[in-house]
Amino acid sequence: MRLRSTLYMVGILIIFLGLTMIWPLMFGLFYQDRSVWPLLRSMGITLGSGALLTVLFKKWKVNIISHREGMAIVALGWAAAGFFGAFPFYLSNTFDTFGDALFESVSGFTTTGASVLSNIEDVPRGILFWRSLTHWLGGMGIIVLSLAVLPFLGVGGMQLYKAEVPGPTPDKLKPRIKDTAAVLWKVYLLLSVSEMVLLMFGGMDLFEALCHTFGTMATGGFSTRSGSIADYKSGYVDTVIMIFMFLAGINFALHYQCLKGKPFALWRDPEFRFFSGTLILFILLVTLNIYGSVYSRFLDALHFGAFQLVSIITTTGYVTADYEKWPSLAQNILVLCMFLGASTGSTGGGMKCMRLMLLLKHSYRELFRLIHPHAVTQIKLGGRPVQHDVMESIWGFFILYLGLFILSSFLLVAMGVDGVTSFAAVAATIGNIGPGLGMVGPMENYALLPVAAKWLLIFCMLLGRLEIYTVIILLVPEFWRK
Amino acid sequence: MKFIIVGAGEVGFHIASRLSKEDKDVVVVDNNPENLRRIAENIDVQTIHGSGSSPTVLEEAGIKDTSIFLAVTNSDETNLVSCMFANILSPATTKLVRLRNEEYVNYIERYAKDLLRIKMVINPEVEVVKTIDRLMTIPGAVDIGEFADGRVKLIGIRVDEDCPVKGIKLFEFKTKFCVDGILVAAIVREESLIIPSGSDQIIPGDIVYFVAEEKRLPDALKCFGKHMQPIRRVLIVGGGNVGFRLASLLEERSVHTKLIEKDRDRCNFLAEHLNNVIILQGDGSDQELLQEENIQDMDVVITLTGDEETNILTSLLAKRMGAMKTVTRINKLSYFPIMDAIGIEHVVSPRLSAINTILQHIRRGKILSAISIKGEEAEVLEAVALETSDIVGAPLKKIRFPKGVLVVAILRDKEVIIPTGDSVIHPNDHFIIFSTRESITEVEKALMVKLEYF
Repeated sequence: MRLRSTLYMVGILIIFLGLTMIWPLMFGLFYQDRSVWPLLRSMGITLGSGALLTVLFKKWKVNIISHREGMAIVALGWAAAGFFGAFPFYLSNTFDTFGDALFESVSGFTTTGASVLSNIEDVPRGILFWRSLTHWLGGMGIIVLSLAVLPFLGVGGMQLYKAEVPGPTPDKLKPRIKDTAAVLWKVYLLLSVSEMVLLMFGGMDLFEALCHTFGTMATGGFSTRSGSIADYKSGYVDTVIMIFMFLAGINFALHYQCLKGKPFALWRDPEFRFFSGTLILFILLVTLNIYGSVYSRFLDALHFGAFQLVSIITTTGYVTADYEKWPSLAQNILVLCMFLGASTGSTGGGMKCMRLMLLLKHSYRELFRLIHPHAVTQIKLGGRPVQHDVMESIWGFFILYLGLFILSSFLLVAMGVDGVTSFAAVAATIGNIGPGLGMVGPMENYALLPVAAKWLLIFCMLLGRLEIYTVIILLVPEFWRK
Repeated sequence: MKFIIVGAGEVGFHIASRLSKEDKDVVVVDNNPENLRRIAENIDVQTIHGSGSSPTVLEEAGIKDTSIFLAVTNSDETNLVSCMFANILSPATTKLVRLRNEEYVNYIERYAKDLLRIKMVINPEVEVVKTIDRLMTIPGAVDIGEFADGRVKLIGIRVDEDCPVKGIKLFEFKTKFCVDGILVAAIVREESLIIPSGSDQIIPGDIVYFVAEEKRLPDALKCFGKHMQPIRRVLIVGGGNVGFRLASLLEERSVHTKLIEKDRDRCNFLAEHLNNVIILQGDGSDQELLQEENIQDMDVVITLTGDEETNILTSLLAKRMGAMKTVTRINKLSYFPIMDAIGIEHVVSPRLSAINTILQHIRRGKILSAISIKGEEAEVLEAVALETSDIVGAPLKKIRFPKGVLVVAILRDKEVIIPTGDSVIHPNDHFIIFSTRESITEVEKALMVKLEYF
């Protein structure tokens, strides 16, 4: 573990982050609002700190990054992104404390969408744009973006890529990691532009369309209005956003295959079938459950049921209905979706369909073996056997995910938060969703939680976004031992 | 430029790693997930799990837009079948195949090379025998490369305490020794490569790489205090395929050869096929046997058993008992860097030889051959100068080369010119150019870009 080389790489990432602040700055200048000066100062601080790190540790620049260093660079890089991303909020006095600004920033980058902001309309537009942009940058991944545009990261790129996109089957779309990252970003960009145009047809201006596109494509959930999407009261906007949330929850490798003219790849993919099948089943159940009890018209029930479900399962967190008023069955299904999450290789969070699917298959195999003790079976995915160590790593992930979830909710309860809120707040942050239940329900936000609870949830968001291992490994003493 | 490599073993791994470092697109196919993981974790290449001989897998790997296809698994049959399918799917792709079975090699060379459009058949055992042969003939050399059909040689030589060149600066070289036609291209000092300028000094412990014309080689070696001596007596330990091949070669040249082999049946086989070689049944590390066979008079002892630890120990023993020179066969390439430290002078490996041969043949366009030195840090290329190329028609000192690039020889018709700053490359000259790894892509481009792609 070469800490100084690691810090050098983190420095480069920070500089890169500083440069992205140009975009909100341009909006700030265009609208001539209060955000210009805070953004300029944040940019100065970020670029300066990044430059300082790179200059200090230039001597230790290395070409080859080990597995461990890759994890450290990614985890520290994300922590740094959250930290420096908080400055625009803090310096513009959007929040009184730096802790709140940090919560908002980390929530943005990890595409959680949990907010501590109460009066969104009062915040200058440059800052709001930055808030949404953090989603978009974090959605496909800061590292993946850097790999695509910074050629010199390419050498140790594989280690970084694996640490940021740790899914059970890291697909490489192109022989070189740089090209793979570029392809992913191109697909991401293409989908984003399409959504933006469609939203503008629905009557949004460029600023709002962009912010909501960022929130959707990254499966984030930040809006530019307090009332979120519901404020538009437009079936068209709801539908566009719902479709793109669904698209963002699909493995981007599949989008790439489709764009290359192989639409059947989508249907042949077992994870996609599992994801869409589960989604349709749940939508039906929820619709039937809320039809009559909440909504008198079937179409309304379908509309609101489907939107909330897609939003939660893809871990976006846009809400158009107060699902806390729904019957328990519908609420339970939503909670289940919080854990399930979207597909691997998508911008969504949660435990990911692929993992759950494989765990179910594995469990079934155990049952099968009880019936046929001599049977030799393999767990297969799309006709190919899944390696044993992949299964082991998924079980490890599952246990850690649940363990950390339980531990964090206990800690929250110990801090004086009520049971339902604690449970839902942790589930919603570790799964990068946003809205939970109780005090953090769809119509509330995280502002009223105790300070310590916010810090814990910041940590949960990072855990969820980097899929546990990359973050938790930094806390293991063995990692730092020489 | 895209490559598909079938086989993720040692050979596939090293070729993939080399190509990936040069910014090429590489796809590796293997049916062993363990091997693939090793590759995916260390090298920036795409890996595909599946059999290389399956056409579906080849299509998935993108054979259609691949420029060069390499089949280098351990199985001859897999390699051949995969070449066949590659040929059906994409006739335009250049194919290189690794084959060991003599029968296959002969028939392919004779009948099927055009049929399958195989550019090159690589037999690791043949390649390693060639390497051993080169190492034997030049005393003191740790590394030898040949260009222009052997007329120009690149030689790496270790400078020791009693070497006459030690301590001199490079620009004094010519005046001090009155030899022409030697150009020092690189110095390896303490594991790192130096591209020297005239004022650099040679110090003991260096490995000096120089280029010389074949006929001036004895003079050149004299400068380093080495004398060309014909090899008269050779002892081979290990009568496997490589040992047998080498023995046959030496027999042809009427070199007095002894061969020690453990297995009696194999000894009988060898005795049947070799006439003038003395076959000895016994253990190569048996001191008495070595003594009995006058090990101290041997010019070269070559250890070629399948067990590398035995080879290392036998070589050390032979050296200690008075053999002039030893050549040791090693399989694990990761052992190479420490060989020097334990006193093993010449190391060969069939895989490494195969890798080098393959790399020589995958350079693009008008590059005729390429040899890498110091592991993988630099490469020496032989190329044809084209009229449109930037390097033609002006004195070398006027041409801007990328960093770490040096023209070390010009071959015009039958003449070999070791260039100075005033030399001019004419169109259609062959020339030999030295380049560090970082600049290889640039050199390739500079030689080719405006001219021709294939």
